[in-house]
Amino acid sequence: MSDRIQDPGAHSPARGGDEKPCVNCGCAERTAKQDARRGFMFRFGAVLLGVGGAIAAVPILGTLLAPARRQASAWVSLGSADAFPAGQTRFATFLSPIRQPTDGDAAKTACWVRCISPGKYQVFAVNCAHLGCPVRWFAQSRLFMCPCHGGAYYEDGSRAAGPPPRGLFEYPWKIDGGNLMIEAGHLPGMEQST
Amino acid sequence: MKPPRVVGMAIDWVEARTGAVAFLAPLLTHHVPRNAKWWYVFGSATLMFFTIQLVTGVCLATLYAPSAAEAWESLRYIDEEVPFGWMLRALHGWSSNAMVVMMAIHMLQVFLHASYKFPRELNWVTGVFLLFTVLALAFTGQVMRWDQDAYWGLGIGASIADRIPVIGNQVRGLLLGGPIIGGETLSRFFALHVFVLPGAALGLIGLHLALIMKNGISEMPKVGATVEPATYRAEYEQRMEKDGVPFYPDAAQRDMVFCGACLVLLVVLAAVYGPFGPGGQPDPTLIDTNPRPDYPFLWIFGAVSLLPPASETAVMLVAPLVGVLALVAVPFFANAGERAPSRRPGMVLIASLAVMAVAALTWEGKTSPWSPVMNAWSALPTPEHFLAGRTPLEVQGANVFQFAQCRNCHSLDGLGGERGPALDAIATRMTPDQLMRQIQQGDGNMPAFGRNLDSAQMTALVSFLSTLRPEFEAPAVIPGAQLPLPVQRMPGEVVTPVAVGSQ
Amino acid sequence: MSAIRSRLMMSALLAGGIALIPATACDRLPGRPKAAQSAQEGSPEWTVEVFNTSCRGCHAQGAVGAAVPLMDSAYWRAASDEQVTRGVLEGQGMLMPAFGLSGGGPFTPAQASALTRGMRALWGGGAQKSPEISGTLVAGNASNGKSVFDVACAGCHGVGGSAGSVTDPMYLRLISDQGLWTAVVAGRKALGSPAWNEPMPGRPNGLTTVEVADVVAYLSSQRPRSMSELKP
Repeated sequence: MSDRIQDPGAHSPARGGDEKPCVNCGCAERTAKQDARRGFMFRFGAVLLGVGGAIAAVPILGTLLAPARRQASAWVSLGSADAFPAGQTRFATFLSPIRQPTDGDAAKTACWVRCISPGKYQVFAVNCAHLGCPVRWFAQSRLFMCPCHGGAYYEDGSRAAGPPPRGLFEYPWKIDGGNLMIEAGHLPGMEQST
Repeated sequence: MKPPRVVGMAIDWVEARTGAVAFLAPLLTHHVPRNAKWWYVFGSATLMFFTIQLVTGVCLATLYAPSAAEAWESLRYIDEEVPFGWMLRALHGWSSNAMVVMMAIHMLQVFLHASYKFPRELNWVTGVFLLFTVLALAFTGQVMRWDQDAYWGLGIGASIADRIPVIGNQVRGLLLGGPIIGGETLSRFFALHVFVLPGAALGLIGLHLALIMKNGISEMPKVGATVEPATYRAEYEQRMEKDGVPFYPDAAQRDMVFCGACLVLLVVLAAVYGPFGPGGQPDPTLIDTNPRPDYPFLWIFGAVSLLPPASETAVMLVAPLVGVLALVAVPFFANAGERAPSRRPGMVLIASLAVMAVAALTWEGKTSPWSPVMNAWSALPTPEHFLAGRTPLEVQGANVFQFAQCRNCHSLDGLGGERGPALDAIATRMTPDQLMRQIQQGDGNMPAFGRNLDSAQMTALVSFLSTLRPEFEAPAVIPGAQLPLPVQRMPGEVVTPVAVGSQ
Repeated sequence: MSAIRSRLMMSALLAGGIALIPATACDRLPGRPKAAQSAQEGSPEWTVEVFNTSCRGCHAQGAVGAAVPLMDSAYWRAASDEQVTRGVLEGQGMLMPAFGLSGGGPFTPAQASALTRGMRALWGGGAQKSPEISGTLVAGNASNGKSVFDVACAGCHGVGGSAGSVTDPMYLRLISDQGLWTAVVAGRKALGSPAWNEPMPGRPNGLTTVEVADVVAYLSSQRPRSMSELKP
């Protein structure tokens, strides 16, 4: 089938590029000067394409790679600090402070608030330090348990059993105007110190 | 039944302008080995399921709203309101699983028959790329469901990416399209699922088929019929010329029958078992959930729970790379010589081990014995025969057993968690002292309860556990201690262990 | 020729017929997803579902449980709705956790009270709370209680008794006074304990309401104040 395929240009030299009349129309012999001009035009076009492509690549790569940038987190309120009784660990939810308009319910975020004593807290991410599944608090055995691979943590967030390589991730917290605030943003992850 | 003249004219007209017949005729008439029989139908069936995926996928794309705020609702709408919508989703879901299975069988057959040897190395390599493309389609398809499994499945993917040293955080950001699992995550996976990956699959399939046409279908392996790269091609073409049969109708009939049967089975499965999901709504604050991946990934889910924590990160990150490289390297590592499985016991062993490992890990992933049964403590009653005739303290101990969520990891009468051992006969294995120490201090796989239970709870619990033994079996003793006389326990009698070191 | 044609016709008919099945019967195929519907709050189905996931572990599927069996009408004669609802919401003693939202549990007060009413309707045997005796703890005289206990209870529930000792300090640490009250009033028939007004070894007519209060006061007085008292 390859013999049917023709070069796209009508004036194509015969195979081998010998100085012979053009096979298609028998026009005059091609000259070295013509070849040089065609070669130059091709290279010129390639440079144009390269420049245009480089400029076009900026927005393409820019949007694709933008999420790799580390995004800032922000302080968000979990409501009145009084809602978290001393000695207990309670469930709390907040809207991610760095949410986007299209996030829907996915912007909702959950965490566990442990009030050690009034004014002293630990706020844990729900995400298991193993593979991110949501851990649940069991007040009776004072353990967090993960439904995915059976990771378990003590009430201070330290690893108790199972595959997690470390304790639960914690959010920085502060009390502001009677409200418990945490600094939250991206998914908690390994960049956090133990 | 001679076709009317006008049909012939029409064909000629099109042929003169497209060359379609000249292009297609060799596809139908090329010679294939006579002895292939039913061995070679699996690739065709995979292609058939892929076609189903394209058609149903395009239809679903006309109904699906790829927005994190609306995707889940739109699936419910397709399932419940759109005429035949649920059937469309069921076909897409079942066909996806069927394609993965058929592909695995096809690959296994090629591996066992060593069809990847010269000159078909690149057939195999494109096949390996197709395998990963299809698995990526399956994973991104699971994300399209945008339910709780999809959300937490992404969380698992993100956590694995996050473990990459130095650039983990950036890779995770690229994967999720942002710092959280949200709208841009779904959009990103939608683009992958409906544009990038199907495009890649189409290209690879084209290449795979072109290579098949170029290199011909491999023959059934025969002991002694070795592959010699220097002479193979000429000899193969000679044999086909002499002994081959035309693809149509000799081989095509089997492909046709097998694909037809597969399609009927697919329709039945879809009609009887319906679509997959969507599961619970994708609200990450609804944590009363038990995330599990789709079937093709259950074995990975199982594997990551069995890895020791120390080597886990390394294995999770390196194993996939090693797996891809090993698969790609197969034909370059052994591209000549014997093809018969009986002469390649090592390869047969590797294939069998791989199949068994994936099957076993899938089963483990499905049953997840390592996962606590989250509501066992409040939902599974203490079996009555473990309560009758017990003292008030022992009954309170049974209460502590439920209260302290022991049941989430330990079963009684076969009900409860399987993370820890079943405790039906624990008193035959452990003395009260040993039980006390185990509960207080725990060990690698059991949390220490020393700080979480007070001594009254602990005493009651141990006294209950000490009653857990079959009626005529002796309680545990410290090794080396004097064996107790057989005791028949009266109802209400407190089991007193043999005093250690006394006498 | 005609054989081929008829075979083609047959195939076409068959294919058409198969295609018609989903077209006509699609709504009735077993795979069609059912719209998810959860039982209405307060309905018997809802009550059973809640009980089975949140209560049954301790409160038994039947008459024998680690804690008070709730499928036992004796309990519903001894306890009032308010009392049960409060127990659900706030917990009781050392082993009944709070299931109310404010205690970190899942139920609103309205749900807890609907659950109580639902359980009484299902398992109360048509009984209302018995008016003869209080559902909640009444103060009594511990020394009188000791003499009543020795006569009426100790045979089975004393030290060395056939049903096991209820004066075991560890047992008493784990049960609240209200728990003792309910245990004496409702009994645990399946585990060999009669209700307060049923025949007992030394008391063919059971106890009086005053004696119940006294016995509970006596048992309460036997409870060690702190764990250090337990250490030998």
